Amino acid sequence: MIAAAAFYVFSAIMLAAATMVVTARNPVHSVLFLILAFFNAAALFLLAGAEFLAMILVIVYVGAVAVLFLFVVMMLDINFVQFREGFQRYAPIGATVGAVLLIELTMVLTGWRFLPEAPQWRSAPIPANISNTAALAEQLYTHNILLFQLAGLLLLVAMIGAIVLTLRERRMPRRQIIRVQLEREVRDTLEILQVPIFAGTDEIGIRMRKAISEDRGEAAHEGAESPMLAASHAQSETEGH
Amino acid sequence: MLAVGIGHYLTVSAILLVLGVFGIFLNRKNIIVILMSIELILLAVNLNLVAFSASLGDLVGQVLAMFVLTVAAAEAAIGLAIVVVYFRGRGSIEVEDVNLMKG
Amino acid sequence: MSAVVMNWIVALPELVLAVCGMAILLLGVAQKRENPLLASMLSIGALVLAGVLVVSGSRGQGYEGQLISDAFSTFLAVLILVGAALAIMLSLEYNQLQRIYRFEFPVLIVFAAVGMMVMVKATNLMSLYLGLELQSLAIYVLAAFARDDLRSAEAGLKYFVLGCLASGLLLYGISLVYGFSGSMDFARLSRAFATPASVSAGLVVGMVFVLAGLAFKVSVVPFHMWTPDVYEGAPTPVTTFIATAPKVAAMGLLLRTMIVPFGHLLAQWQQLVVLVSIASMVLGALGAIGQVNIKRLMAYSAIGHMGYALIGLAAGTEAGVRGVLIYLLVYMVMSAGAFAVILAMRRRGMAVEAIADLAGLSSTDPALALLMTIFMFSLAGIPPLSGFFGKFYVFLAAVQAGQWTLAIIGVLTSVVGAYYYIRIVKVMYFDEPAARFDVRHPAISIAGGATALFTVLFLAIAGPFISAADLAAKALFG
Repeated sequence: MIAAAAFYVFSAIMLAAATMVVTARNPVHSVLFLILAFFNAAALFLLAGAEFLAMILVIVYVGAVAVLFLFVVMMLDINFVQFREGFQRYAPIGATVGAVLLIELTMVLTGWRFLPEAPQWRSAPIPANISNTAALAEQLYTHNILLFQLAGLLLLVAMIGAIVLTLRERRMPRRQIIRVQLEREVRDTLEILQVPIFAGTDEIGIRMRKAISEDRGEAAHEGAESPMLAASHAQSETEGH
Repeated sequence: MLAVGIGHYLTVSAILLVLGVFGIFLNRKNIIVILMSIELILLAVNLNLVAFSASLGDLVGQVLAMFVLTVAAAEAAIGLAIVVVYFRGRGSIEVEDVNLMKG
Repeated sequence: MSAVVMNWIVALPELVLAVCGMAILLLGVAQKRENPLLASMLSIGALVLAGVLVVSGSRGQGYEGQLISDAFSTFLAVLILVGAALAIMLSLEYNQLQRIYRFEFPVLIVFAAVGMMVMVKATNLMSLYLGLELQSLAIYVLAAFARDDLRSAEAGLKYFVLGCLASGLLLYGISLVYGFSGSMDFARLSRAFATPASVSAGLVVGMVFVLAGLAFKVSVVPFHMWTPDVYEGAPTPVTTFIATAPKVAAMGLLLRTMIVPFGHLLAQWQQLVVLVSIASMVLGALGAIGQVNIKRLMAYSAIGHMGYALIGLAAGTEAGVRGVLIYLLVYMVMSAGAFAVILAMRRRGMAVEAIADLAGLSSTDPALALLMTIFMFSLAGIPPLSGFFGKFYVFLAAVQAGQWTLAIIGVLTSVVGAYYYIRIVKVMYFDEPAARFDVRHPAISIAGGATALFTVLFLAIAGPFISAADLAAKALFG
C-alpha cells in the first residue's frame, strides 16, 4: 500500500515539524517549520481526495500567511534570547494539559463510530463524475453563497483592521522642498533700507521678532546705529503642512 | 476513499491540536509563536474536516475547511497588526511583560 | 431536503446593513477631511434602518436552511442593533477627546452588528461560525483601537489570543459533531439525535468543545479570564459595546445551539451548564469586592450576570429561555446606562476610572449620582427596578424545573453582589466630595436618561416586552 505508507511518512514529518514550531529557539525557524508542516498537511489533504484544498493550503498559507509571519518576525527587532526564560517553568503545566487532552481525545477516538444513519443526513454527497474543484465550486457559489459573502465581509474587516491599526500618516512639520529653495532670490529674503543716522528701529518701522532679537541682541543694537540696516524678514524657509 | 482508516487521520489531527494547545502554554512569552500555535490548531481542525468529508462522502466538510482557511488568514493579519501596534508602544512582544493591568 | 430554497429575503436586514457599512466606508475614504461625526450619524441611521427591516421583515428559513428569521432572532436582533447604536452614540465625545476619532470606528461596529445578527439567525454550524468570527474580528480591532495607548493594545492582544483559542476549540467541536453525525444543519442534527442510541462519546465531546468555545464569548467561568483586563484596557466606548450587544448575540447563539440541535442531549449538557452558572455567579460576586477600578468592577459584574442568565438555560425549559431573553434585555439596558455614567467621568478632558473618583458625586452632580444609583440598584436586583424582574424570571424558571440549588445559590450571590453595588452608592452619597466632573456631552445625558427611564419604569411597561420574549421562546421550542 503506497498510499498508506505515504500517509505515515507525511503525517510523521508534519507532527515533527509542528513540534519544532512550538519548541524552536528562534521564531524564524518556527515559521520555516510551520511552512514544512503546511506542505505535509497539503499532502495529507491530497491523499484524502481534497485536491483543491491542498492547493489552496499551499498558496494561501505558504504564500501569504507564513510570509506575513516571516515579515513581521523580521520587521520587529526582537531579542530572541530572553524568550527562553520561563520555558522550563511552563513546560510541566503545558505538558500536563497536553497529556490530559490527548488521553481524552484518544479515548474518544478509539470508541469511534459513525451514526448508523449518518449518510442520510448528508447535504452534499460527493458527486461521482465531477472533479473535486468543480464540485466544490458548485457548493461554494450556489449552495453556500451566504457563507461566501460573509467570508468576503470578514476579509474586508480584516483589511480595515490591519490598516486602521498600523497605517500612520507621516506628518513631518518641516519638509524640504527643493524647488522652493532654488527659486529663492536675494530680494525675497533681504531688504536694504536707507536709514537716517541715529534712528532706532521703532522709527523706521522695523520690528525684529523677539526670539531673533534676543538671540542676536548685540548685533541688532549695532545695526540700529549703523547707517545701513539689513533686516531679515525672518521668513520661514519651510512650508508647514 | 481513504488510504488508511479514518481513525488514523483523527489521531494525527488530535496530536496536532494538542501540540497547538501545548505551544500556547509553552511560549507564554512569545506572542508570535502563540499565533503560530493557533494556526496549528486550525490546521488540525481542517485535517479533521477533510478526513470526515472523505469518509462520509460529503462535501460540506471541505466547504467549511475552505472557510476556516479564509478566517485563519484574516486572523493572522489582524493578530500581527495588533502585535505590531503593541511592539511599537512597548518595544517588546513579551506577553508576560503585560502587567499594566493586574487581575 | 426540507428547504432547497434560497429565500434570500430573510437576510435582507443583514444585506442592507452590510451594504450601508461599505457605503459609509467608501464615503469616509473619499472625503478629503475626515468627518467621523457624519460617519457616526450615518451608521446610526443604518442601524435604525436595519431595525425597521428586522421588525417588519419576512419570517422563515432561507439559504437552504442556513439562516432563519423567527421571533427569537427578531427579539435579539433588535437588542443588538440598539446596543450597537448606543455604543456609537456614546463614543462620540470620548473618541474626540482621546484622539481616536476616526470614521472606521462606527463602520467596524456596523460590521460587527452584521456578524451578530447572523449569529442569532444561524441554523447551521457553518453560518454560526462565520457570524461569530465576523463579530469577533471586528471587536479585536476595536479593543486595540486606541493604538497609542498601551493598555488598549494590550487589551486587544489578550482578547485576540484567547478569542482565537476559543474559536479554535469551538471549531474542533464543530468538526467532531459533523463527523459523528454527518451534518451541520441544526434541523438534521436535532433529528439525528432524537434516538438516544445514536449518541456516542465523541459526539458529547464535540458538544462540550462547542459549549466551551461559546462560553468564552459570553465570558463565563472558566473562560472569563480575559474579561477584567479587556474591560479595563479597551477604550470605554468599546467596553460599552463589548458589554452589551456581543453578550446578547453570544447568549442567543448559545441558547439556539443548545436547545435546537442539542435539545435531545439535555441530560448530557445540563449538569455542565449548572456548574458553569454557579461558578460564574460565585466568581462574579466575590471577584468584584476588592476592585478599585469601576471598569474592572463592571467586568466581574458581567461575569456574575451571565451566570444568572445561564440559570435559565440550565432549566432547559421554555420558561427558562423566556427568562434568559428578559434578562438579556434588562441587563443590556442597565449596563449601557452604567457605562454612560462611566463615560461622563472625566476631569479636564481626562477620563478617570477609579471608584474613588465618584466620591461625593451627589453634591457636585446630583443628576449623575441619581442615574448611577438607579443603575447600581438595578444591577443589584432591588425590587421595583428592572434588574429584579430579570432575576425573578430566571429564578422562577429554575424553581419550576426543579433546580432548587441554582435558585438558592443565585439568591445568595445576589445578596453578596448587592454589597459592592451599594458600596458605590455609599461612596457617591456619603464620602467627601472630590473635584467635579467636566460638563457632560448631550449624547451621554440622552442615553443615560433614556436607559434610566427604562430601568425605573420597567414594571409599568414590561407587558409587551414579556410577551415578545414569550413568543421568541416559543419559536425556539416550536
